[in-house]
Amino acid sequence: MNKKWSKAINNILTYGACLAGSFFVLIPVLWMISTSLKTEPETFAIPPRWIPETVTLASYKAMWVDYPFLYYFRNSIIVTLTAVVISISISCLTGYGVTRFRFRGKESFLGFVLLTQMFPSVMLLVPYYKVLNTYGLSNTLIGLSLVYISFTVPFCSWMMVGYFKTIPLELDEAAIIDGCSRWQAFVKITLPVVIPGVASSAIYAFVTCWNEYMFANLLMADGKLKTVSVGIAELNGYYKIMWNDLMASSVVASIPLVIGFIFLQKYFIGGLTAGAVKS
Amino acid sequence: MKTRVQKNELFQPAKMSVKELTPYLFIFPVLLILLMLVVYPLSFGIYISFFDTDLGNRWNFTGLKNYLAIFTQDRFLNNIWITFKFAFLVVAGHFLIGILLGLALNQKKRGITIFRTILVLPWLFPDVVIALIFKWLANPMYGLFNSFLLEHGLIEKQISWLGSTQWAFAIVVVVCIWKGYPMVLVNVLAALQSVSSDIMEAARVDGANGIQLLLKVILPAIKPVLTTTVILDVVWWFKHYTIVELLTSGGPNSVTSVVSIGIYKEAFQYFKFGKAAAMAVIVFLICFLISKVFRKVLSDDE
Repeated sequence: MNKKWSKAINNILTYGACLAGSFFVLIPVLWMISTSLKTEPETFAIPPRWIPETVTLASYKAMWVDYPFLYYFRNSIIVTLTAVVISISISCLTGYGVTRFRFRGKESFLGFVLLTQMFPSVMLLVPYYKVLNTYGLSNTLIGLSLVYISFTVPFCSWMMVGYFKTIPLELDEAAIIDGCSRWQAFVKITLPVVIPGVASSAIYAFVTCWNEYMFANLLMADGKLKTVSVGIAELNGYYKIMWNDLMASSVVASIPLVIGFIFLQKYFIGGLTAGAVKS
Repeated sequence: MKTRVQKNELFQPAKMSVKELTPYLFIFPVLLILLMLVVYPLSFGIYISFFDTDLGNRWNFTGLKNYLAIFTQDRFLNNIWITFKFAFLVVAGHFLIGILLGLALNQKKRGITIFRTILVLPWLFPDVVIALIFKWLANPMYGLFNSFLLEHGLIEKQISWLGSTQWAFAIVVVVCIWKGYPMVLVNVLAALQSVSSDIMEAARVDGANGIQLLLKVILPAIKPVLTTTVILDVVWWFKHYTIVELLTSGGPNSVTSVVSIGIYKEAFQYFKFGKAAAMAVIVFLICFLISKVFRKVLSDDE
């Protein structure tokens, strides 16, 4: 009897918490979707309606036709992918190097990597503004990629060191006895095992870069080089804010992340502790 | 670990020189990148903080004058104070919600996977998108909040949430809690998976009730993860810019002007680059101190 009761209470608490949480998460999300499907008069209807009387995809068309979101998406994709690919490759090398070898200066090297995570990115704002200018990189996609790499490399390296730690050393040793070179052991044997770690670091890096606003807004003054975040924020600055267009572009900007996450989430939840957190 | 490393030595052939170089080849790229893209700009930032400069031709060395100036200015101290309040409330909110939902989601029950996906969603939405959704919800004329509250008679006239000194700060904090709790949730979930069910079962057999189990067994077991998460979270939100900027731009009447907004304005609105750089250095020192203090406090009683 007692056990049955405690189970029932546990169920109520669990589902109660989940339902309440989901409610507060979904209200804004559904409101965004609802607004994005409205016509202009209905967007500004008083009182606001949850389900639009006329559902229209006009805003989803307008963002490509009336606003330069085609450019914005292209730019965001280029910058984000560059930063993700570079920081993941480098982090894998680091993870392997640090966990597979004993070498002089290893501890101080790890301390250094950890320290580079601690600085607040706002500290880089003024220096990057000047440095990119000096090297002719301001207002270029490469320049912005470099900034993003500086955000993602410290954290991803730290995560990958954690992941490689979980892979037994015997694996490479066996490969080397079988005649693999160090590089072959890394690429063919260890790297495939550590794919879940790569996936969760990649999600992290992708989300960070795709969502970044402050630097993109400051460094990309040229209209055609803006990123999606900046493009959306700009719609907010017009004299009359077209909320339906703004929400449509918000939906489209968020979709790649949501879909990517749903596919990769099994790697992600288990993933974080192995890396960054269990130091 | 130690024995493993020694075992590894078996694989070091006579040619020590090449072999000794290999580990450095693996870490060379990250070292290069960090030196070029982090250390160099950071040092340059510190350098700038000692100058009165327009970043062009004017570079007047002023020593510590920028630092003295910002500390005698009420504006900066006020920014810092607001940021402390902001970061404290936001992180406290993240942990309250993150741990609660983490415990709920860590059970094998029907439908939990769906809830898990839904509850992580806020982390995936770009800051810009989140700020603007809430700005739209809080719109005085057409927003959902006011219409709901008016309809149910909870308020008598429309409230300009983001324009009132009374509400703006609270709204900003709530939105940032909404955005950031999934990170804590995910970390808590991952940590909980490593808490062995044997210990939990043993505690239960010994007659521990739910709350005792939580306080005496679960929380201590995931404490290392919580420590790291709280440090990262505090540092992360202490320097937060985007959501606050887009919701209120630091207003009204500076009640939401967190320090990142202050730095941004100092640099790109007043063009006092040296001062802005000095403010950034102070923020860095504060973040560094916070992480030291947390580590000390949270690891001492082990």
